[in-house]
Amino acid sequence: MLRNAIRKDLLLNGKQFWGLIPWFAWAAYALGQERMGAMTAVSGALIGALMTVSICAREDKFHATAVLASLPVMRRTLVQARYLLAFVMGAAALVLVAGMAAVLPWSVQSAAQAFEPKTLLLGAAVAGVSVALLMPVAIRFGVLGVIGFFAVLQVAGIALLVLPGALGMKDVLKGLFRAAERGFVGWHAALGQPGPILETVAIVAIAIWMSFYVSVFLAERQDL
Amino acid sequence: MSADYALELHGVCKRYRGFCLDEVSFNLPRGYIGGLIGPNGSGKTTIIKLIMNLARREAGEIRVFGLDNRRDQVAVRSRIGFVYDVPGFWDDQTLALHRRALGAFYPRWSDATFDRLAGEFGLPLDRKFKTLSAGMKTKFALAMALSHEADLLIMDEPTAGLDPVFRRELLQRLSAILQDEGKSILFSTHITSDLERVADFITFVRNGRIAFSMPRHDLFDAWAIVKGDAAVLARLDPETVRGTRHRSTGAEALVSDAASARRALGPSAVIERPRLDEVMVLMEGEAAHAT
Repeated sequence: MLRNAIRKDLLLNGKQFWGLIPWFAWAAYALGQERMGAMTAVSGALIGALMTVSICAREDKFHATAVLASLPVMRRTLVQARYLLAFVMGAAALVLVAGMAAVLPWSVQSAAQAFEPKTLLLGAAVAGVSVALLMPVAIRFGVLGVIGFFAVLQVAGIALLVLPGALGMKDVLKGLFRAAERGFVGWHAALGQPGPILETVAIVAIAIWMSFYVSVFLAERQDL
Repeated sequence: MSADYALELHGVCKRYRGFCLDEVSFNLPRGYIGGLIGPNGSGKTTIIKLIMNLARREAGEIRVFGLDNRRDQVAVRSRIGFVYDVPGFWDDQTLALHRRALGAFYPRWSDATFDRLAGEFGLPLDRKFKTLSAGMKTKFALAMALSHEADLLIMDEPTAGLDPVFRRELLQRLSAILQDEGKSILFSTHITSDLERVADFITFVRNGRIAFSMPRHDLFDAWAIVKGDAAVLARLDPETVRGTRHRSTGAEALVSDAASARRALGPSAVIERPRLDEVMVLMEGEAAHAT
């Protein structure tokens, strides 16, 4: 049944993949830029994984959730399929970026760079945490939930930029940003060591595990 | 609870803000067509959603072919063909793609049956779902529901968006499905003439409660509309009066015991076999009176 659920998502949402063309155009350009480093591969994993969130949103947009829930399959299995597909899509996007890096004559990055442990971990962390945050929202609240999620992020971002200035706390904000930047750079630099690798894997795994159970809980209790 | 029934609901409750489905109980034996009627907002769609486990019941028990509809939901749903009141599929995909993607979930799915039905219903498989008219969308949902040898068909207002010719054809098809012993159908509708034509059992839902659930022939044989003036109606046994309507020209009463009304009134009143729409109107009038 899990196989059918994944197959169904791929068949009925195939057209969504055309929406990735602009991103691949950008990736083709970015592969020629030295400064982009692993970011092309990492953003590929993120975009690929988030495709499954857009699949949930599409289902809601077409009011097809009830039809799905009336199929002879547990709602838990449908949710499972989404998380598995996110992993598969993220990995597939990473492979595509590696392929582009190998084929494009202007690429300054090698295909092997996409599969370096640091790149893989960073990709898994960024894509995994994003999916873990967004999937329950998409499953429970559909397309409006996803839009609302990003709207809240936008408003929070604007507030973060505007409020400290208005309250005379610009230095505090700068300090916060620098601390976050230092933390991220430090974490990224440490990803070659066993301790931070294990910590990262554990955090991402726990985030996805918790997100999955929240999604199943929400899906099973949703009245359609 | 017995496996001789296609469907058994016992004490089912569901509460929404401003609406409560209360202690709903009725059965549908195997091999019969059951019709759910009732005014808008009475709870017909909620009952169907609860049977399909699209909404969670708060109390009671629902069994399909003896199986719990929640615990055994996969087995139960594989035996149900379901048509939603507003069929929602993937707007930008073709009907053929829907068949490929969704048919695979049913162990007894038949592409050949689907293609034959699509041909009979005039459904172009290369068309996108969004380009279909409302009636065609319902026909597509019906073709999907009828293509996996379902033992029980559950349909929420399936005839609502259909033209009279196809509606009649559909009802004939539903009756034909029953020729295959053991198959059962439950459908809700506002069109009472559809139920009079095919339903074996009629369940009337009113304000979230079951007003009655009985075989159609029992309803039409035992119940009656009594017409006369107020003095005539006053002679009826109040226990049997299920609804009344007063007009300037006289009054009407719906009674659940035609024989006793005939004995009580003799030739002084007109006693007629009821039509389903009259039953609904008179019972609704009584409910409005009571509130």
